[in-house]
Amino acid sequence: MFKVSIFEPKKTLAMFSESSNFSEITSIRRHRPDYQIVLFMGLLMLLGLVIMYAIGPQRANVLNNAYGSDYSDTYFFVKQVTSLIVALASFFAMAFIPYNFITKYAGKILLVAIGACLLLAISGWANLSFAQQTLGATRWFNLGPLGSLQPSEMLKFAVLLFTAGFLGAKAKQGKQNDFKETLVPIAILTVISLMFIVVIQKDLGTGVSLIGIVLSMLVISGLNKRNMLIILFATLILGTLFIISSPHRIDRVVTYLKGDDTSQSDAGSYHIEQAKLAIGSGGLFGVGVGNSVQSTGYLPEATNDSVFAIMGETFGFVGLVAILALFLALLMRLLKQMDHQVDIRLKLLIAGTFGWLGAHVILNVASMIGLIPLTGITLPLLSFGGTSMVFVTAALGLVFQLSHYSVHPSNLKEAQYENFGSRRGIGRSRHSGSRGYTRN
Amino acid sequence: MNLELQKGSRSKALASIIIGIMVIFVFRLFYLQIIQHDYYVDIANVEQIKRLSIPAKRGLIYALDGSLPVPLVMNQTVFTVFADPQTTNNDSKIIDTIRRVAGGNARPDLQELLNMKESRYQILATRITRTQADMIKSENLSGIGFQEETQRVYPEGALASQALGFVDFSGVGRYGIEGGLDDRLTGVDGLLQSVTDISSVPLTIGTNNIDQPAVDGENIVLSIDRNIQSYAEKALSDGLTRTGATKGSVIVMDPQTGKVMAMANLPSYDQAKFFEVTDASLFNNATISVPYEPGSDIKTFIMATGIDKGVVTPDSTYENTGRIQVDDRIISNATQGHIGTISLQYAFNWSFNTAVVTVAQRLGDGSSITREARDTIYDYFHNKYRLGQLTDIELDGEVAGTIIPPTEADGNAVRYSNMTFGQGLDVTMVQVTAAFCSIANGGEYYKPTMLAGVVDKDGNYTPNQTTKLSTPVNISTSRLMREMTHTARSAFYTIVDKPGYYIGGKTGTSQVLRDGVYSDTETIGTYLGYGGSEDLSRYVIMVQVSGDGKSLSGPRDALPIFTDISNWMLNYLEIQPKG
Repeated sequence: MFKVSIFEPKKTLAMFSESSNFSEITSIRRHRPDYQIVLFMGLLMLLGLVIMYAIGPQRANVLNNAYGSDYSDTYFFVKQVTSLIVALASFFAMAFIPYNFITKYAGKILLVAIGACLLLAISGWANLSFAQQTLGATRWFNLGPLGSLQPSEMLKFAVLLFTAGFLGAKAKQGKQNDFKETLVPIAILTVISLMFIVVIQKDLGTGVSLIGIVLSMLVISGLNKRNMLIILFATLILGTLFIISSPHRIDRVVTYLKGDDTSQSDAGSYHIEQAKLAIGSGGLFGVGVGNSVQSTGYLPEATNDSVFAIMGETFGFVGLVAILALFLALLMRLLKQMDHQVDIRLKLLIAGTFGWLGAHVILNVASMIGLIPLTGITLPLLSFGGTSMVFVTAALGLVFQLSHYSVHPSNLKEAQYENFGSRRGIGRSRHSGSRGYTRN
Repeated sequence: MNLELQKGSRSKALASIIIGIMVIFVFRLFYLQIIQHDYYVDIANVEQIKRLSIPAKRGLIYALDGSLPVPLVMNQTVFTVFADPQTTNNDSKIIDTIRRVAGGNARPDLQELLNMKESRYQILATRITRTQADMIKSENLSGIGFQEETQRVYPEGALASQALGFVDFSGVGRYGIEGGLDDRLTGVDGLLQSVTDISSVPLTIGTNNIDQPAVDGENIVLSIDRNIQSYAEKALSDGLTRTGATKGSVIVMDPQTGKVMAMANLPSYDQAKFFEVTDASLFNNATISVPYEPGSDIKTFIMATGIDKGVVTPDSTYENTGRIQVDDRIISNATQGHIGTISLQYAFNWSFNTAVVTVAQRLGDGSSITREARDTIYDYFHNKYRLGQLTDIELDGEVAGTIIPPTEADGNAVRYSNMTFGQGLDVTMVQVTAAFCSIANGGEYYKPTMLAGVVDKDGNYTPNQTTKLSTPVNISTSRLMREMTHTARSAFYTIVDKPGYYIGGKTGTSQVLRDGVYSDTETIGTYLGYGGSEDLSRYVIMVQVSGDGKSLSGPRDALPIFTDISNWMLNYLEIQPKG
């Protein structure tokens, strides 16, 4: 079908729309949603805000000294507050706009996202001013006073929406292991996206999280073990290709292979050593809010990719374990909501969100504590940076909306095969209990 | 929490994987934050804590102008201009600018220096002022840097250069006061130990911060009076021109306190350009560093010893034969004649060696310089007059000299007979001057000092105490010796002194030892005297002139320099003439 798409875009679009159509969802009664999702998300956002408040002035100072910029002491805090407001708006928008309205446009959203990536690539190549260049890569649209937009985050969201619909539809027909109809199209979509993200935008971290999204959905769709191995193998080959195609990724792997031995330190190992130093010097309880020294210029990307290390310095072992527990709890809520969905496509939507969040957390934390080679990837909900937060919260918002329509596992089997909406009692949520409200 | 995931489902598997990974993370965090915590804290301290030295300001050196301190040595911030030839890009503009602004302080071979592209540091100009540095900075030349340093400046030029010394390029005081009081002038550098950001800017974070302020060096007021010093240098210079001597030194001391009012040496050098001096002996302060055989000046001290011990008076007589035998040696007078019974005063006027050997004999059994006589002489010379001992004056490079005690084989009667007229002992001018002060002031020995006091950072002047070390002779001996030296001076030279004052002194013409033999052609001329009113000596002046291969005489060459300074001093100190 993708072959066709090149020549007949209109027809392709129609096919996209059709394949991502969620309209046949069963009419389960809407009930009390899973507020724990909001709770854990909110706590994590709040922690991120505390850190921005504490290290924002130092970060501004470091940047002003290094680049002669003119950030004020409150710049990072205010910007983070703004980002959080936008992210919460996006969360609640996704939570309240009926999901089948959103999913109806999954194909179009995907086309817009790919188009945005294409436009960014072209304008970066043409050196246009609204394409913001950083370290030789063009990753952002510079929207002037509105801030900047990272289209790769939008692409991840679009891939999530689209693949959930597409793969879900195939899975319903039992074709999730069909190479020609299912796996190859998904592989092509993934590789095209990765070309934009990893090769053109040189953003391996975002690329890996995209793979996380797709793989999670494939696993949940019921991929058989043989295909799973094949796909894992292909992913490894692709990852290796991405690494050896870029000298600085090779450096990071080499640095990683040297291990903890700081006697061999060099420029390449600086970032990871400073991150471990921040975490290690935090000790059991940390140095306390506002006392982070590593954020005064020693640790690169203190507000973004390295925020976990700064939190380790500030809050110590206790704080980091609490943060990991919050992420784990949030991820577990996602799995639970996924399990409690009736429609496979909604399951996949949540699976992708799980993969997204999980990949970010695991990659970020593992690189900060030196378990994998350094990967530039944000810690969702905590790192400074608007776009990534807005789309993660959008996905979480969708999950929150879907949590209105969960079904208790004891009723799940029936629900999958019967129109349980006509039977009293079946649609009750285990969350709502007797006092839960029900609405049509 | 009860997640109610389906048993055996893939969500259960994903949950297990994610929980497994989180457990690994927690173990890793435990390792990093608990087990290796101290290790990382140590590394963090090495990286984050910086120790900055806060340089202490070197103390200023003041001289006196009458009783007011005036600056003699000050500090000035100067700049060294350097280039990083790897990053310079407009050589011709750099060269033009530096030549134009720095002038003679620029290196002559700027183009070659800039061509050394493999180097990262080439000095283009040194010791330029802040204004000049600002002018160069305003050109925004790339690859050009500045280093700030402090250098000494001398408002009075080369005045008292050997007494002052200089500060070398590493900031260490050398010679003179700069060397002698280096510790006090240097102060103590402060220490700032602080957690800093990556640009070494101190942070308020952390509990081990140290902020120990620098203790600036003391501002020292010399007892040198710049007017007396200036006049002494001029008088000495005139004297050298007049006599053909090549070297000369003058000390002017206040006999009532031991304070040095002037200390001049020629030839001299310009402290501001110490680095251009090729002959390091110019740095030496001859008055403290070059012991010599003092010659006839010392007769004053043996006479005082004899009078103080009560064995002679100025009026005591002896039989002058022009020569005197001590053991196997014959000692002759420099001036022949005057044979017969003469008074010691008369002999002193003529500076007869036979007279002072007689005094030494009378300190013994009357006919020979016995061990007892030698013990007495040694006790007076070494212990009381403190000759041949370090005075511990606040100057670098003082040398003690030698007086051989009677307990040594060399301390025999022959040596002690020679010592009575100033041979066979090595002393410095400052020792002789300080000892003579005790004879001129009523018998008290004050430790010679260059210091009048200190000026604190608010500019308040606190004079320091003088130190009385011994009482070599009693007051009547002192009075008799003042009379004796006054008479000796007046016997031949009254005409040159201003009338109405009480001036006295003793000439000395010492032979120079060359390869262990007294030279016939080279002598050092000295004069040692005091001046003031009859009641109070206000100054002691010692003059020494010499020159390689030059025969210089006390009366002929050194005395007129004394007279010149002495007459000027009477005027400068506003001493009222008698009657």
